[in-house]
Amino acid sequence: MTEDILYSIRNLTVEYRTRAGSVQAVDNVSLDIRRGEILGLVGESGCGKSTLGKALMRLHTGPARITNGELWFDGRDLMTLSDREMPDVRGAEIGMVFQDPMTSLNPVQKILDHLTETIHTHEPETSAAAARTRAEELVERLGIRRERLNEYPHQMSGGMRQRVMISLALALRAKLVIADEPTTSLDVIVEAKFLDLLRELQKEFGLTILLITHNIGVVAEVADRVAVMYAARMVEVGDVRDVFADPKHPYTQGLLRSVPNIKLDGGELYKMDGAPPSLLHPPKGCRFHPRCPFAMGICSVEEPSLDAVENDHLASCWLYRDVAVKQEARNG
Amino acid sequence: MAKTKERPSEALPEGATWEVELKRIGFVRRILTARHWYGADWWFVTISTVAVVVFIIIALFPGLFAPYSPDALVGPSFLAPGASVDLPVLIVPQSSTVNKLQDLAVPESADRPTVAVEQGLPTAGALNEESQKIDEVIKNQPGGLRLRPIIDRYASLEETLQAVVDGKDKAAVVQTTEFNKVKAQFPTLREAAPVSGTAATAGGFLMGTNDIGQDVFSRLLWGTRIALIIGFSSSIISLLLGVPLGLLAGFAGGTFDRLLSLLMDSLYAFPGLILAIAITAVLGPSMFNIIVAISVLYIPTYYRIVRGQTLSVKEEVYIEAARSIGARQLEILRRYIFPNVIPSVAIIFSVNVADAILTGAGLSFLGLGLPPTLADWGIDVARGQRFIQTAWWMITFPGLAIMLVVLAFTLMGEGLMEIFNPKLRER
Amino acid sequence: MSPIAIIALIIGIPSLLLLAYVFVRGSTGLRRYILTRIVLTLPMIFILATMVFFILRILPGDPVSSALGPKGTPEMIQSIRTQLGLNDPLIVQYGRFLWSMVTLRFGNSLVGGHRPIVDEMSERFPATLELIVPASILALLVGVYGGALAAAKRKRALDFSLRIYSVVIYSLPIFWFGLVLQLFFGVRLRWLPISGRIDAVIGTSLKTITNIYSLDALLTGNWPAFFSVLQHLILPTLTLGLILSGVFVRMTRINVIETMQADYIAAARARGIRERVLIYGHALKNAMIPVITLIGLQVAILLAGAVLTETVFSWPGMGSYLVERISARDYTAVQSVITVFAMLVALISLAVDVIYSLVDPRVRY
Repeated sequence: MTEDILYSIRNLTVEYRTRAGSVQAVDNVSLDIRRGEILGLVGESGCGKSTLGKALMRLHTGPARITNGELWFDGRDLMTLSDREMPDVRGAEIGMVFQDPMTSLNPVQKILDHLTETIHTHEPETSAAAARTRAEELVERLGIRRERLNEYPHQMSGGMRQRVMISLALALRAKLVIADEPTTSLDVIVEAKFLDLLRELQKEFGLTILLITHNIGVVAEVADRVAVMYAARMVEVGDVRDVFADPKHPYTQGLLRSVPNIKLDGGELYKMDGAPPSLLHPPKGCRFHPRCPFAMGICSVEEPSLDAVENDHLASCWLYRDVAVKQEARNG
Repeated sequence: MAKTKERPSEALPEGATWEVELKRIGFVRRILTARHWYGADWWFVTISTVAVVVFIIIALFPGLFAPYSPDALVGPSFLAPGASVDLPVLIVPQSSTVNKLQDLAVPESADRPTVAVEQGLPTAGALNEESQKIDEVIKNQPGGLRLRPIIDRYASLEETLQAVVDGKDKAAVVQTTEFNKVKAQFPTLREAAPVSGTAATAGGFLMGTNDIGQDVFSRLLWGTRIALIIGFSSSIISLLLGVPLGLLAGFAGGTFDRLLSLLMDSLYAFPGLILAIAITAVLGPSMFNIIVAISVLYIPTYYRIVRGQTLSVKEEVYIEAARSIGARQLEILRRYIFPNVIPSVAIIFSVNVADAILTGAGLSFLGLGLPPTLADWGIDVARGQRFIQTAWWMITFPGLAIMLVVLAFTLMGEGLMEIFNPKLRER
Repeated sequence: MSPIAIIALIIGIPSLLLLAYVFVRGSTGLRRYILTRIVLTLPMIFILATMVFFILRILPGDPVSSALGPKGTPEMIQSIRTQLGLNDPLIVQYGRFLWSMVTLRFGNSLVGGHRPIVDEMSERFPATLELIVPASILALLVGVYGGALAAAKRKRALDFSLRIYSVVIYSLPIFWFGLVLQLFFGVRLRWLPISGRIDAVIGTSLKTITNIYSLDALLTGNWPAFFSVLQHLILPTLTLGLILSGVFVRMTRINVIETMQADYIAAARARGIRERVLIYGHALKNAMIPVITLIGLQVAILLAGAVLTETVFSWPGMGSYLVERISARDYTAVQSVITVFAMLVALISLAVDVIYSLVDPRVRY
């Protein structure tokens, strides 16, 4: 492998125990995140992308749990860490930016306290003054005046809060930042600024970013590579330009065609038939086959694996396997 | 000042489609599968429902379970629970055919039997009294038997009993407890029937007796009836007034709603017991007035819940839809709002019965409202307070009864609330 | 100076200082909030009092004839009615009633020495204060800590036990709970006195200033009296405080659990902050905001509980005064006590709201 891999997810399964039965919200997913890249993770809501993002930090509580898989981060498997060791990784090595900056900051805690608390949690020996200085430098780099550190979250605008969230993720120089729908609640202008900032920071700090979003446009703008999820499975992974120029999986094709285009050509938007399946009773075989325009016999029987279709471009679709392989799969 | 209530977000991942499937599960299956979803809460509901049914049965037929009438003076005063009654008992030689006092009766002409007693004890009096009673009955009967024993007095218990052993006297009359102390020394003697009192009361009382010798246990069982009558009737009255008012206010809105809500909120904020005290003070004491006083207190409980639910149901799209196709107001109320409100009202009712029983007990403890001789738990506890130094059982058992009944209704309501409508918990 | 005036000063001066501080340091928003809240308290007292007045009047039944019982001749009833002003038109009575609230002149009691009711209440009120303040503090300590503990150990044995505790406590008749404590600690173990506020012998040596005995004993340096007062306080405080704590455990638990689902807790967890800190530092602090409001709503339980606790422990406070006067059929006194309770409810809920505004930065700034 020529690329330097920071985070290697292997066969990850996250299960939710619900009142109606248990559900695999992430089902046997493997994915590599390369050092220094921005990887966009896209899919419709409910496809399991946020669950995947949380699972990378083992953040699940309550009814959700990781039932299978390995999480190789920077050379060690996070699944082998105990519950007491895990918090040392969170915040220090992997940071997270949440979807809604309005609700992701503690309303009764000052911004400064958010930062110094994080610093002190991981570096208890830091003096209060030093922590404060670090916090001030950090937020100024992100374009927030240091006086505003003494304010409460509700006194700040959405864009500013999202920058605070980033500063929290960067406070300890995390190697990987997971941004879960970071721009969904921001308006378009703020969103553009925020994405520029993300790009800058990635270059400046050598960050690796996993950008989870349902917005294809955002991915096209900042990501280096893109991973597409459908119904708890990974369906396509590849370089942004490759995937957008030549999507392999029929789902990705449909997804890209249904993105509104700014060109006022008046053509009607493509609408995919059907709706995503219930994860309680997912369809057998390829989960997309009931909606797929190219569905074949095998699609409803056997699940295709995620394999390279072209160099560094993976898709899980029977269209790209030759007949022999199909036969083998059917008999085996 | 946004006071947002975050709903649990951990429960399901975003945009989950299985929530819809959950709604399709039928009512009966929901209750059955609920056991797996809710664990402890399901058991709470089941156990407390059984308890509630038991209490209702006791309240309907207290006579079937209670050994005595609640007002009958059945034993000595202040008898501790389980303690046997200290009765004067007839002691005879093992070989004697005498089993009860009446067996000592002899024909008019025969020698009168002699009976040993200890000097200066009430046993002699009891013997005389009982003998005369029996004699009155048997002297007019055919056979001409008379019961007029001659009483021999001895200085000590031992001498008394020794006289029977030696055959000087046919029998002795001794207190049970006294006899039990020296039983081992007199193997040839045995205990026959008590001279006075019945064998049933001799066994003692499960929960003891009160200051005037009534059975605490029987009063407790009969008290269930009064507690449940107060609890149920006042809750039903509150419900019958609170629910329509809440529906009306929520549905009509406007000034009417604002004024009524203001009044209801004030009533809700005011300490209920104090208000009930005031109301019973004006109305004068009677069971009916207690019920009226308590039902006034709990109208706001129903009003607030029903009004809130009506408002939120009203906002929902299908009401808009119903209105737009020209459904009449009453029709909307009946078809859409009422069915949505009923489950919460049922749950509140259960908790409300518990509250009403507690308040009722508090009122009768204070001596307001009910006649002071009635077999009511609150009254019995108040009565026991005067004898707290001597008779712990007079306080303990009626209080426990209040607690258990209230607990059963509360748990049933709480458990149901948890299962059907978690939002209701913050009343 | 009358005790009640001294108490008013003791409570009033710090509250005024606090309010002044808030007004100087607080934001415009906060100032406006507190002002509005103060202004709103007056109508609340008005509504509560009006409610009391009309409930007492509208209900069928006549206090005078029920007071006199079967002995009362119609002439006697009429003359007492006239004397009490019950024969005046309702509106006149209502006006007089409101005026008596403003001036705190409730008239003289019908029984005993016919003393002014205000004087009698000013002896009773400090006793009630001495009971409900420590009881509330106990309830808060047990309730908030227990609730947070239950939330921290959610679905474990401790949580289960604490839930049982809160339900059982909720179902306990408070008067019975008080009696059981008396039975155990007073009658069986003989550790604590079971009635009154102070030992009768020591009591004679206590010089009363505020009628809050513990405070008076401290002020005059009368240590035997102080310890006697504390001894007498323990059981009533435990009774009222523990009964109240059940509701607090429950409310704190629910709110902490709910707050633990909040996004900012997940975000804090993602920054590596430990579960202990999350619960006791973050979630509890945030949960306290709604809990404070809910606690404000429990004033009703507190005061109703105080009436029963006072009766059980022969505690000469407002509650036992109310019960005594009802037995004595002293209608004027009953109405006055209930009105004072209404004012108390309104003032406590005002205090709770002001505290709420100070705790929540979203209101403060």
